Amino acid sequence: MIKIKGVSLWYDKKFKALDNITETIQRGQTVVICGPSGSGKSSLLRCINGLERSQEGKIFVDGVSVQDPETDIHKLRSDIGMVFQHFELYPHMTAMQNITLAPIRVRHKSKREAEEKAMELLERVEIPEQAFKYPEELSGGQKQRVAIARAMAMEPKTMLFDESTSALDPEMIKEVLDVMINLAREGITMVVVTHEMGFAREVADEIIFMDEGRIIERGADHSFFDNPKSERTRQFLSRILI
Amino acid sequence: MDLSVISINFKFMIGGLALTFELALMTMVGGLLIGVILSIARLSPRPWLYYPATAYIHFFRGLPLILVIFWLYFLSPVITGRPIGAFPAAVISFIVFEAAYFAEIIRAGVQSVSHGQAMAAYSSGLTFYQTTRYVILPQALHNMVPALVNQAVIIFQDTSLAYVIGLREFLRRVNLVDAREARSVELYLFAGLVYFTICSAGSLAIHRLEKRRARSC
Repeated sequence: MIKIKGVSLWYDKKFKALDNITETIQRGQTVVICGPSGSGKSSLLRCINGLERSQEGKIFVDGVSVQDPETDIHKLRSDIGMVFQHFELYPHMTAMQNITLAPIRVRHKSKREAEEKAMELLERVEIPEQAFKYPEELSGGQKQRVAIARAMAMEPKTMLFDESTSALDPEMIKEVLDVMINLAREGITMVVVTHEMGFAREVADEIIFMDEGRIIERGADHSFFDNPKSERTRQFLSRILI
Repeated sequence: MDLSVISINFKFMIGGLALTFELALMTMVGGLLIGVILSIARLSPRPWLYYPATAYIHFFRGLPLILVIFWLYFLSPVITGRPIGAFPAAVISFIVFEAAYFAEIIRAGVQSVSHGQAMAAYSSGLTFYQTTRYVILPQALHNMVPALVNQAVIIFQDTSLAYVIGLREFLRRVNLVDAREARSVELYLFAGLVYFTICSAGSLAIHRLEKRRARSC
């Protein structure tokens, strides 16, 4: 469960990226965040695993405070997987090495154990034959599936997706979304920043619309699309749902 | 052209290469060590580390090496009250000077790795040390190899400047032979050939090594 209470974040003390965000995400829920660029969606994601330090407010992930200096932030992060827009695979490592790095170094698993688990995950994302290739040899969709497998290798309780399909060619979006839909159905807590409204309709327990660092509207699937309450949301949806 | 001047004095002149190599190697090792420390300070968000390191780097990059050698050789006895030997004076000024260049090469290499890489590593629970060791440094080192090789070649050539304080490295010995035999054309062509051969063999070898490493990893 993720509890966000009154979180505000400034960049360079001037630009307010997040403005008093409060939100609770139950265990096993999938929450989709959408909104125009610069609305604070990615900043909010990065606050959840402490990659960004909010100046105000509190965040708890499964009861552990993210900001508390007493918290072992590395331990906390190891239980939260993150997938990025531009994949961020380590280019000097094979798919296999990308996936096994953190299990070996953070979880202290043996190389063999980590590799067996990695192979299992690669089969789940349907690219076991790519295990020993380098990122530059993979297509965008394959890279992102390796990145998801890399995050899953830590057996996280929560997964964060930061626009994980927006850098992909159209025909590769589906293969990545299918993997994400399966994960959502398996009951991992997911926070997904995306503009893929088809994905939102299918698996989101809640959809949040953000603008200028604030949550403008939240809704559960159909009511959100069919009658958005705010004018801003309506405007945004009319632009992305062509 | 009378090449016998070279064959007769060959042993004496080539003997100077030992000192040349010694100077170059000590400079590379010392310069790299101090360069690493300087670059860490320069990449640090702490102002008391960042500003002194930045000032140091700018200062030495703004001076000709020959001036640094002169300063150290002639000024340090005035300050410390003790004369300094030509060899330590040369080594110290080379190291102090080259460290500034190494620091900038290392800094650029580290910064060439995108911030997203560190984000990905941190998000999987890796510590700062692990992120640096397994994710940032391997990529940074790979990116900085050409610049480091280039700098090593420059250092090798710059060791010849040690002649100004009387060190008998390779070029100084050629110079001495010329003073006696007055065969400038032959001798300096020979000197050029020696520098060229060593430098290009060195860069070629490292280039090959780098290619092989890129394939195997």
